[in-house]
Amino acid sequence: MADDALCYAGIAELGGLFRRRALSPVEYVQDLLGRIERLDKTLHAFVTLTPERAIADARAAEAALRRGEAGALAGIPVAYKDLYATRGVATTAGSALLADWVPAEDSTCVRRLQQAGMAMLGKLITHEFAFGIQFPGHRFPAARNPWNPEHVPGGSSSGSGAALAAGLTVAALGSDTGGSIRGPAAFCGIVGLKPTYGRVSRAGVVTLSWTLDHAGPMARTVEDCAHLLQALAGHDPADPASSPEPVVDYLAGLRDGVRGLRVGVPRAYFHEGLAPEVAAAFETALDVLRRLGAAVEEVEIPSIRVAPAFMVIMLAEAFAYHERDLRERPELYGEVAREKFMTGGLFTGPEYVQAQRLRARLVAETARVLQRVDLLATPTAVGPAPPFSVVWNPDYPFGRSNMPPFNLTGLPALALPCGFSPAGLPLSLQLAGRPFDEATVLRAGQAFQEATDWHRRRPPV
Amino acid sequence: MSDGTDVTLDEVRARIRAAGLPIPEERLGLVHGYLRDALRPLRAFDARAARDLEPAVTFDAAAPEDPDGGR
Repeated sequence: MADDALCYAGIAELGGLFRRRALSPVEYVQDLLGRIERLDKTLHAFVTLTPERAIADARAAEAALRRGEAGALAGIPVAYKDLYATRGVATTAGSALLADWVPAEDSTCVRRLQQAGMAMLGKLITHEFAFGIQFPGHRFPAARNPWNPEHVPGGSSSGSGAALAAGLTVAALGSDTGGSIRGPAAFCGIVGLKPTYGRVSRAGVVTLSWTLDHAGPMARTVEDCAHLLQALAGHDPADPASSPEPVVDYLAGLRDGVRGLRVGVPRAYFHEGLAPEVAAAFETALDVLRRLGAAVEEVEIPSIRVAPAFMVIMLAEAFAYHERDLRERPELYGEVAREKFMTGGLFTGPEYVQAQRLRARLVAETARVLQRVDLLATPTAVGPAPPFSVVWNPDYPFGRSNMPPFNLTGLPALALPCGFSPAGLPLSLQLAGRPFDEATVLRAGQAFQEATDWHRRRPPV
Repeated sequence: MSDGTDVTLDEVRARIRAAGLPIPEERLGLVHGYLRDALRPLRAFDARAARDLEPAVTFDAAAPEDPDGGR
């Protein structure tokens, strides 16, 4: 790449260069493909590269740009988590079960981004069925964290996080059932948005848990996530959970700042077991929001401690999806993932119902809190990315997480960089908002990024 | 179940037998941990005190005003 910094350029900057003909989308894609070839041998972010498709997409975008018919995303390189169906391109879900699946149709999200003129670089590795981490010897090697390849990039959108942090793509899609967009965003120092349940179509995205799965964008800046959400959001009859709620302009008020916004800080549950550096970075982030004019106040969500019931719902639904294969072809599941999925078959029907009742209470209580404040702020992860040597233990527990409460409630939640650990690993702030109020969540995230430079730091790749 | 007790290893074995799933003994600790953590809030929940609380089976992020009997 003529200017290596360009591999970290954002959508608006690239779009401007494309429009002024200062940079060709075709040459840019070719340069990124070369960078992937160079760096992905060790990062393993991509499971499938589609260079011919990328160049063809870029050529089509270049022609549209010349005709003056191109939108903001024309020619912008994108890569998809390998859970998203892509027409004519293998979609493995990180599993041996689907290793040979070549979908006949694009998922709705992929179709919308392709229609917006994006150039598809390839498919990004996911944890097996968005759930089971890849142990050594797995059919698909685990992606590595560009900040330190001995540490995990988070999951399950592991390839999406790693590729963005290493400057291998400009945009990516992830999916989030219990934090799979926000976790990799936190561990890789990038931005991930889990939109409101129903805001972005899940049609054509391999299911983990019907009532918890969310599709959403990942990028290096809040602004780029807003651009992507603009193209992704909207009703889709192919997704039974898709909402008819009108789509607003996510870019119009993006730079309106946080002055006058009320930010609630729920400490109970969300601050238990935090690494000291996470706690310190979070308090500094709150100071930034205060300095920008937000009113920060403590709030309580009385039933937040029901959050671990999330596992009953997720595992029971995942088991329902996988039961036949688990019983008939268990050898095709990875080590440990198989037993994790099978755990979902051990809950009783009444236990699933009780978990959904507790969830209903949490949804209502959180909504009441959000009548008083505009946003909730928490640390995204309780610590920085752990090393593979720790998580490659079959008995490694899930542990408490700050992300599933927003899958249970379906609220929009944004993860964005807010610091670094003493070991140089990224730390992250989570901002959640009211249903379908992604605009306010993004606006606060944008204000934070205009006042800080954590998102501009680059890993030593 | 609202007796507040934790899941025992014997209970895990009984559930595995009832489900007819081939979960090996060496994964019992892992499975036990998941069941114990996931079921803890359910076992602490007195369903008799919340008879009108309806499940979120048709999930909508825009919450009802009062799921505890708000009908």
